[in-house]
Amino acid sequence: MRSFQAWAALLAMMTSGWAAASEPLPPDQFGMEPLPARTPHWIYVVDSAFMNETDSRVRVYDADTHGHLGQIDAGFFPGVTLSPDRNTMAVGTTYFARGGHGERTDVVEFTDMTTLAIDGEIVLPAKRAQATPTYFNLGYSSDGRFLYAAYITPAASFGVLDPAARKVLGEIDTAGCVLVIPWGPDHVSSICDSGRLLTVTLDAHGNEASRALSDMFFDVETDPLFVQGIPTDQGYTFLSFLGQVHEVAFSGTEPVFRPPWSLLSAAEAGHWRPGGQQLGAIQRRLGRLYVTMHRGGEGSHKKGGTEIWVFDLSTHRRIARWPVAALKLGPVSALQVSQDEAPLLFLASDNPAAVATVDALTGQLRHTDTNLGQTPWQILNP
Amino acid sequence: MQRLDRIVESSARSLAQRTSRRSFIGVLGRILTGSLLIPLLPIDRIQRAEAATGPEGSPGKMPAAAKGKSAGKPYTEDQQNCEYWKYCAIDGFLCSCCGGTSSSCPPGTATSPITWIGTCHNPGDGRDYIVSYNDCCGKTSCGNCECNRNEREKPMYRPSRNNDLNWCMANADSNYHCSVSVILGVAEK
Repeated sequence: MRSFQAWAALLAMMTSGWAAASEPLPPDQFGMEPLPARTPHWIYVVDSAFMNETDSRVRVYDADTHGHLGQIDAGFFPGVTLSPDRNTMAVGTTYFARGGHGERTDVVEFTDMTTLAIDGEIVLPAKRAQATPTYFNLGYSSDGRFLYAAYITPAASFGVLDPAARKVLGEIDTAGCVLVIPWGPDHVSSICDSGRLLTVTLDAHGNEASRALSDMFFDVETDPLFVQGIPTDQGYTFLSFLGQVHEVAFSGTEPVFRPPWSLLSAAEAGHWRPGGQQLGAIQRRLGRLYVTMHRGGEGSHKKGGTEIWVFDLSTHRRIARWPVAALKLGPVSALQVSQDEAPLLFLASDNPAAVATVDALTGQLRHTDTNLGQTPWQILNP
Repeated sequence: MQRLDRIVESSARSLAQRTSRRSFIGVLGRILTGSLLIPLLPIDRIQRAEAATGPEGSPGKMPAAAKGKSAGKPYTEDQQNCEYWKYCAIDGFLCSCCGGTSSSCPPGTATSPITWIGTCHNPGDGRDYIVSYNDCCGKTSCGNCECNRNEREKPMYRPSRNNDLNWCMANADSNYHCSVSVILGVAEK
């Protein structure tokens, strides 16, 4: 026993001596981390925070380093978009004066995407469409001169904003057609219950110069169109509840509709459907369409995908089916693909709340992150 | 054998002398009408519904008479359960789990004056009902009993059938708390 005590005393002297001999830690420099330069493998994850909706946020994530780089507050039922130069994020949202209650303020807030600091705002009339996220709740003209905000009260219209002067220019009634699909420097299309697009052309001051209604290109009674369009080189691609693909070019003087084609074979029709919140993405370099698909029927159009189906856009042929269960992810409610030469596919599920990063060429899982929000319903590319 | 024939013949002639064809049809009609009315008695339906509902209102098997349009789906009379028939196109938090009921808002919230509309099939009586999905407003999300069903729901370009919009939008304080389903009437066929 006496021997043990001697050894213990010797050990204590040695360790305390070593501690005294090493240098103390220097004082920390308290400050703010600069935002690194963005890469094509960043994503902006819109967390609608459905369990506490006044606290939505956009999380900035680097899929290569698995780094959480920062956050942009997004308030209540936000609409999120990026400026044409990608240096500004505009968030259309609503705040209440006393947190969960009180006077309502609708506003567009501008965040500098090189610093993540808010650098301006435009207060809107209390008409902003408080709706689940789509590309068309808020959008810039192609030259960045105008910013358009969808209004639903439930009467439908849109606000024309001047992002440089930080002011509202005016409001244009859309005769029941909803959302804003900006194209070119001066066109805005809205989707109508009649299965048509209403296109308003603006003058240099943001006032309505003319309007035109397209031919009917879908039937809301038999096969409604999802409003979540997918960006393409010429415009947007829309999917229907039953799996029809409607490619719309928004590059000339009026929208041009290509003949629709189906995601489904005759045997699959009626059994498999697209579904979710952000249910498709196109890798433009590869010409590939990725869609969240599930087995379903009437009323299943918001169910997330249990499989990701990959299509070649030139042949309309399906080239892969990737079961989500193999990725240890819940049904996929939102997906996005990067546009670089080594593309990554990003898949978000609500339950469990997670975002998986997948090789967009092979479907192989790279990483799953469970800290990107509770209901990640939209993913934007930087 | 001949004796048996005589007995039957005698009984038949006796019956024919005592009754008319009209009375026979009348008795048959009463029997048929009675058998049709039995399934409509409320006690019968309720007992079958309770038998079909699992422990503590969990989804159970649908009563045999209720099968049809909603065949194969879980059946429940529990208004805190997302599968309750009135919630067929609801999206949000059930007010019945937040201090309200399936058709009334929790205390201290504000009722939404505008709404979206659904048509839901009640397996209990076999009828289709038009229901309005009103939101309860002015407090932040309740967070209990999240429920998202979309039968006959349409996208935002048909707002009256859409549940992606915040239907507290027209309230002075448009914060969303929870949703109810209010029967407006029987749907016309």
